[in-house]
Amino acid sequence: MSEAQTKTSVFTQNPNSSNEVVLEAKNIVKRFPGVVALDHVSFNVRKGEILALLGENGAGKSTLVKILYGVYVPDEGEIAVEGRRVFITSPLEAIKLGISMVSQVPQIIGSLTVAENIILGLSKYGMISKISRVKEFIREESKRTGIEVDPDIEVWKLSYTQKQLVELLRSVILGAKVIMLDEAITFLPIQEKRRFYEFLRRFVGQGGSAILITHKIPEALEAADRITVLRRGKVVGTVDAKKTTLDQVRKMMFGERSSEITYERLPPSKPTEEVVVDVEDLWVLGAHGEYAVKGVTLEVRAGEVYGIAGVAGNGQLELIQSVIGLRKPVKGSVRVKLNSKPIDVSKVGIGKIRSIGVGYIPDEPLKFGVSMENNIEENLAMLPSITNGIIRWGRIKKLAESLIKDFDIKTPSSKTKVKLLSGGNLMKVLVSRELMVSKKLLVAYNPTRALDEVTAIMVRKRIKEKALNEKLAVLMASEDLDEVLQVSDKIAVMNSGKIVRVFNAQEAKREEIEKLMVM
Amino acid sequence: MMSLKTILDLVLAAGPAFATYYLAAVGHGIFEKSGVLNLAIDGVFTLGVALAFAVSAVYMNPNLGLLASVIVASAFGVIIAYLTTKFPTSHGAIGLSTMFVGYGLASLIGVPIRSTTPNAAWYPLSDTFWAEIIVVAVVIGLLAQYMLRKTKLGASIRAAGENPYAASALGVDILKIRLIAGAIGYALIGAGAALYVLAYTQSWSEGTGMGHGWVAFAVSLSAGRSPLLTLLSAAVFGGLVNYSYSLQAAANLSPHITNMLPFIAALAAMVIYAVTPLRRRLAPPKGLGKIYFKEERTV
Repeated sequence: MSEAQTKTSVFTQNPNSSNEVVLEAKNIVKRFPGVVALDHVSFNVRKGEILALLGENGAGKSTLVKILYGVYVPDEGEIAVEGRRVFITSPLEAIKLGISMVSQVPQIIGSLTVAENIILGLSKYGMISKISRVKEFIREESKRTGIEVDPDIEVWKLSYTQKQLVELLRSVILGAKVIMLDEAITFLPIQEKRRFYEFLRRFVGQGGSAILITHKIPEALEAADRITVLRRGKVVGTVDAKKTTLDQVRKMMFGERSSEITYERLPPSKPTEEVVVDVEDLWVLGAHGEYAVKGVTLEVRAGEVYGIAGVAGNGQLELIQSVIGLRKPVKGSVRVKLNSKPIDVSKVGIGKIRSIGVGYIPDEPLKFGVSMENNIEENLAMLPSITNGIIRWGRIKKLAESLIKDFDIKTPSSKTKVKLLSGGNLMKVLVSRELMVSKKLLVAYNPTRALDEVTAIMVRKRIKEKALNEKLAVLMASEDLDEVLQVSDKIAVMNSGKIVRVFNAQEAKREEIEKLMVM
Repeated sequence: MMSLKTILDLVLAAGPAFATYYLAAVGHGIFEKSGVLNLAIDGVFTLGVALAFAVSAVYMNPNLGLLASVIVASAFGVIIAYLTTKFPTSHGAIGLSTMFVGYGLASLIGVPIRSTTPNAAWYPLSDTFWAEIIVVAVVIGLLAQYMLRKTKLGASIRAAGENPYAASALGVDILKIRLIAGAIGYALIGAGAALYVLAYTQSWSEGTGMGHGWVAFAVSLSAGRSPLLTLLSAAVFGGLVNYSYSLQAAANLSPHITNMLPFIAALAAMVIYAVTPLRRRLAPPKGLGKIYFKEERTV
């Protein structure tokens, strides 16, 4: 860090923030096969501050925090904790130094109880310590921090939000000085998000520090004290969050391309009379045997983008899954009209409808949307709508290369295993492929999850163009209300398994929708 | 009517077979809970049998034979855990290769000793000794259950087997935990092997013990790797093996059928677990047999 940069922070508004650096990375270099993920990256975090780490997909944010957490070892560079040089070779080492991490995908183990998960990182308990000894401790900390968790509950029974809360509580219990949040808050419902930020404020108020990775720049501006921006593995700069603007941060992140960012409603498409998706009085069970979808009826026409807004866990997922044929309805029907006559999805199954031109972007894209061990070409070739029995690799290679170019996928080649790509680039592989195979219908859940703003908006524009020009019908559920508002022609609000109201996009008001989502 | 005394005698006489399968199956369960696919079991079991015989024959002391088998098997457990965790190698390949190494070493060690010293010091054929080994085996099994369910070590082993990447992020040293699980697990497999020859067959020839490691494997699977349920499966299979001849005679069964029984039961048990609410408790570890390699870029 240059001296000039350190000095500006003396004028920072945050009374908690001091000049004392807790964690510092100097000239970190990390190479992966075919890519330099981090190219001499230096940055620091001070005591009592929230530092936001921003950057477009594949900028190196996750790699950087994984290095600080000992998941990867850097090829070059130094890390210092409170001025002392350290070597972080494993997460256990990081935990001992007071560094902990909460990721987007909860890194806790489903078959273990909360207490068991937490004791794993507590080195003060020996190998033959009884697990019950940690429970009282967890209850106390739970009370002190206001994060309520039952230490005896097995983690698989918890919701996504609760799992993230367990991770946060765990960080506190491990005595973290620095909590790193890698897109950990991005997918939480609004109210929960507020609780997280309140908690973080208190945590840094008591002398802790936090590193926040998010794609939501306004959130970063509101929550963070300073913002460090990465671009293509290099630090662009560090700014005071209170003195900078949304535009300035976007420019730092995306350069020229930042002008492409807009949240204006995209031009409406012109649906035809033809009904492509016809859902009638649909009842679907959720994961725990309760009704997740309770009598939903809807119609999507050719050329129409039908957006479902709602807080996560209100049945959108189960609805989407049963429209695509992954979940059998208990009652009601889903009919999809792709050619001349409508097909009952629950009778023919997903394989059939996918092979005749239905695109699908699933809820856990990395788990259900790509095969991590295969390369980009293989991830294209495996789709029945692309390949028929015999694979023509020459054609697949051309397809792959056109998608890479078109969507600016950062990869060494089309033969790179997709697990070697960053989260955002992986998502681009999936989204570009699905947009390509969507002939008549695209079904999507959070289609731009994990994408940076520029890419997300590009994807939305593509979806809209296909609806407009090729009369593609789109059924999309998203937890991101901005997204639903920007791209939909019709907006349905889903709450507790029911569609509580359907708006025409022109008449939809954000406040009204938000109210319906949480009522 | 059989008297109580006769029943007790019958139960005790099955003690060596029960203890053999119980200890080896519990050991197998502990090791696999840490996520390592244990395909070497039969080879190391056969080696343990030969070694227990050889050492007991040379020193005329069954306890030394037992000790030798426990130590060498444990060392094998450590080696298997190291190879499968430190390097991105296939658990299947390492396990099966080690199995054949075990078979080879067993003959290499056993055959020369047998040609010079055909008799070893065996454990006594007495009710008291049989009662003792049953009690000791059950106590060890209960300790294993306690360790797996109630201690941090147990939680670490389960975490390593379920999802090694997440476990590592939670603070588990995967390599260390798997080395410990390998050492403990294979020590028990070695103890089972020693009891097989020193207390049960009381004779050794080339190939003794071969196949019985797989029986222990099936005994463990039929019980979903739980030390408590293994009590039941080991008792059933210990009894079946011990009274195999009487059963064949009584029910007029082919010995090939009685030999298949443990494996048929294992298949049936796994299907039963999979379709009942037991599936969560007794499910195989999710990371079982998967290659764990740290320096990969994953999201």
